[in-house]
Amino acid sequence: MSKDPTVFIVDDDDEVREAIALLMDSVGLAAETFDSAWAFLNCFDPERPGCLVLDVRMRHMSGLELQERLSEEPLHPPIIIITGHGDVPMAVRAVKNGAVDFIEKPFNDQALLDAVHRALDVDAEQRGHALEVAQIQDRVERLTKREREVLDQILAGKRNKVIAADLGISQSTVEAHRAKVMEKLEARSLSELMRMMLMLYPDRAKSAQEG
Amino acid sequence: MPAPLLLIILLAFGALPAAGAAATSPPQPAAERQVLIGVLSHRGDARTRRAWQPTADYLTAQIPGYRFDVAPLDFAAVEPAVAAGSVDFVLVNPAIYVMLEVQRGVSRIATLRNGTNGSASNLFGGVIFTRADRDDIDRIEDLAGKRFMAVDPTSLGGFDMANAVLRQHGVNPAEDLGQLVFGGIHDAVVLAVRDGQVDAGTVRTDVLEHMAAAGSIDLADFKVLGALETPGFTALHSTPLYPEWPFSKLPDTPTDLAQAVAVALLQMPPDSAAARAGDYSGWTVPLDYQPVHHLLQVLARPPYDDAEPFTLKDALTKYWLAVLIGTLALLTMALLTSRVLQLNQRLSRANTRLERRHQLILDSVAEGIYGVDLKGCATFVNKAMERMTGWRAEELIGNETHEIMHHTRMDGEPHPREDCPVYTTFRDERSRFVDEDVFWRRNGTSFPVEYSATPIRDEQGQTIGTVVVFRDITERREAAERIRRREAEQIHFTRLSTLGEMASGIAHELNQPLTAITTNARACVRMIDAGRADTGTCCEVMTKIAEQAERAGEVIRHIRRFVRKEEPEMAPVAVADMFETVLVLMREDARRAGVVLHRQIGFGADYVMAQRTQIEQVLLNLVRNAVEAMLDQPRERRVLLLARRNGNMVEIRVVDTGPGLGKGSPEHLFEPFVTTKPQGLGVGLSISHGIVEAHGGRLRVDSTPGIGATFFFSLPYVDKRPGMTEDAAPLQSSDNENQHAGEHA
Repeated sequence: MSKDPTVFIVDDDDEVREAIALLMDSVGLAAETFDSAWAFLNCFDPERPGCLVLDVRMRHMSGLELQERLSEEPLHPPIIIITGHGDVPMAVRAVKNGAVDFIEKPFNDQALLDAVHRALDVDAEQRGHALEVAQIQDRVERLTKREREVLDQILAGKRNKVIAADLGISQSTVEAHRAKVMEKLEARSLSELMRMMLMLYPDRAKSAQEG
Repeated sequence: MPAPLLLIILLAFGALPAAGAAATSPPQPAAERQVLIGVLSHRGDARTRRAWQPTADYLTAQIPGYRFDVAPLDFAAVEPAVAAGSVDFVLVNPAIYVMLEVQRGVSRIATLRNGTNGSASNLFGGVIFTRADRDDIDRIEDLAGKRFMAVDPTSLGGFDMANAVLRQHGVNPAEDLGQLVFGGIHDAVVLAVRDGQVDAGTVRTDVLEHMAAAGSIDLADFKVLGALETPGFTALHSTPLYPEWPFSKLPDTPTDLAQAVAVALLQMPPDSAAARAGDYSGWTVPLDYQPVHHLLQVLARPPYDDAEPFTLKDALTKYWLAVLIGTLALLTMALLTSRVLQLNQRLSRANTRLERRHQLILDSVAEGIYGVDLKGCATFVNKAMERMTGWRAEELIGNETHEIMHHTRMDGEPHPREDCPVYTTFRDERSRFVDEDVFWRRNGTSFPVEYSATPIRDEQGQTIGTVVVFRDITERREAAERIRRREAEQIHFTRLSTLGEMASGIAHELNQPLTAITTNARACVRMIDAGRADTGTCCEVMTKIAEQAERAGEVIRHIRRFVRKEEPEMAPVAVADMFETVLVLMREDARRAGVVLHRQIGFGADYVMAQRTQIEQVLLNLVRNAVEAMLDQPRERRVLLLARRNGNMVEIRVVDTGPGLGKGSPEHLFEPFVTTKPQGLGVGLSISHGIVEAHGGRLRVDSTPGIGATFFFSLPYVDKRPGMTEDAAPLQSSDNENQHAGEHA
């Protein structure tokens, strides 16, 4: 987590690739270059923060294909698409698929740098969020079976009396389980619990709120 | 008709009666040999038999072992009968006898003693007389201008004898008489004179006395002109006396038979039955016939008729049938001849018409047509040729056409007559077609022609010259040039549209270096701004920038030349340059399609004669097709541009590892608007094919489904390296770098 972010450059044109690396270097950003999508995939490490500058047209595997592959990963660096003349429709597709930006060649250096900074911010945020979710997940896993059942009933928006009736236990037992869940999940209030659960299960939490 | 032919015809017809006479002779008893006596039948056959058969019977009776018969012969039949030997003896008048004696060698054995009783004689003559009351006619000379009658032109006593006497007295009967007529018989002449139908006449001796004795005339009514006195001869006569008819034998008649006949005749009593029947008084020893010879000589009668065997009238009279047939034959021949002449004339008119028509046909043809003989001289020319060349027919005919209008080649080099296809045609006797040549006009200009030269043969199949049919192809050439220009424009247009289709790839090809340049430059500026720039890094970056700018410039140069309108002429081109252009223009499209482009130039295949941009266009088309064909295939995608030397040619191949061509495509592949691609217009291959053909080659294809397709064609190899051109110079240095153009991108 403490690592500096890296700009990964994937372009099969040597000159363009090296030029972009030089540009990154000129503003003090670490850069790594790859001459093909495969080369990048071979070295891919999801733990490493940074962003991906990707030429949309490459032999063997295009930028779009690489983007598709990465989207299967739980965590991957944000993607900036570089397009040539006439590739705008492809770039638009890439953005729809989750790319942060696209830049047309030949590009303004500032525009590329802005895009890179934006992407690194996204990556950082992405990586922070992911960390919190992972912690919450860890806590959820510490719950006993009965505590999970009670948590589910809470998320479904049911009151203690109803939960006791449903589970066939006493209301006081429900309250004891409930306190244990709050303690284990480190939630100081119901709203905080709901926020955590929203991060973990965006869909279920939503329906609970509405319910 | 020539005289000999007439004679032959007459003789041929004349022979018939003699043959007939022989055939009609009565059959003889087997024991006896028949002897035929030919008797001149001047008064009809029946009368002749009646008069002379008794004499024959007398001889039969006198000479044992022989049976004598009479064969009546008319004038014309005598000579042929003698010539044929169909009679053994002849009894004819002295004139005929003399002729036969001279011509056929007959000889007399007895002379007739004519007449009866006191007047009987073996001599006779002619008497010329007039009416006793004609005071104006006393002498023979007085007969000039008078009407005169004789018995017959052939009658010896009735005309010839008097004729000779008249001539002696200066009166030529043929010219000097007022009129000469023939009475036919003696009595008629006598009566015509008595009755004043004619002024005078002549008959043989004894006729007047006989007629007077018979009471039909009175001698006192007549007077004799030029009367002669001859001792022992009592009858009136005006002419010398001549021996009577002789009995003569033919040369082949046996002598003993002739002697027996002569003896029998001389022993015949004057009053015998035979003599009485013949109205004569027996026979005497043969007389001298010299006077007859003389007479005939004077009258120029046969056999003394040097010039005229017969007069026309004789011929007409005696040989009327032959003459008629001859005349008919002549007329027929004349008719035939005139018909033939007429036909001939018509033929010659038709021929003239035909020739005129030929000329008309020749003249109405738009092509120039002329003929030359074996010496190479013009024999005929048509109007179109005169019009096209400006030479007039009379200037060409009889002169060597090659020297006049074929002396110089298209390129201005002299055209030796030994090489002239027109002359070669009559030498090797083969037709030929020449599609490009020039003829020279009279005014010294030339025009392009195509022509056919065909040997002319006569009826025997012998070659006698050449006929040339030619056409001025100026207009066609101009049209071809227009088409060529239009095609070039179309090729250019196609090239532009090809480039348009490739615009995104080519723009990318420019974008790459431009991107590198700007990015590098900006980065460099930032480093300097940040104070982190060292000279080494900056130099390195600047060098990269320069290289990229050159790379962009190179692409632009290729594009610019590629879209430029033709340099129309062929020139030596480096194969590497052409491959380079194609690789530059195709690089990005190939890259997008994931296709690797290679090139390989074999030893000695470095220069070709070509229109550079057009061949580049062909290569670009083929590479694009190859790249597009491989778009959807999972196998490796490669396109190889290959050049290799093959004899005098350089074979250029575009090899791909695509799916190969579909079935049914190859033969139609090079036609316009045939395409196997959903979006293709289908003009690419057709235009490529046209370009290769214009280079004298053929665009061909080899295809193996699942392995790939190879398009290939050949261009002429050229040895000399061209001068350094603006395009070629920078490319020389980049040859190695681009050996695998597709891979480095």
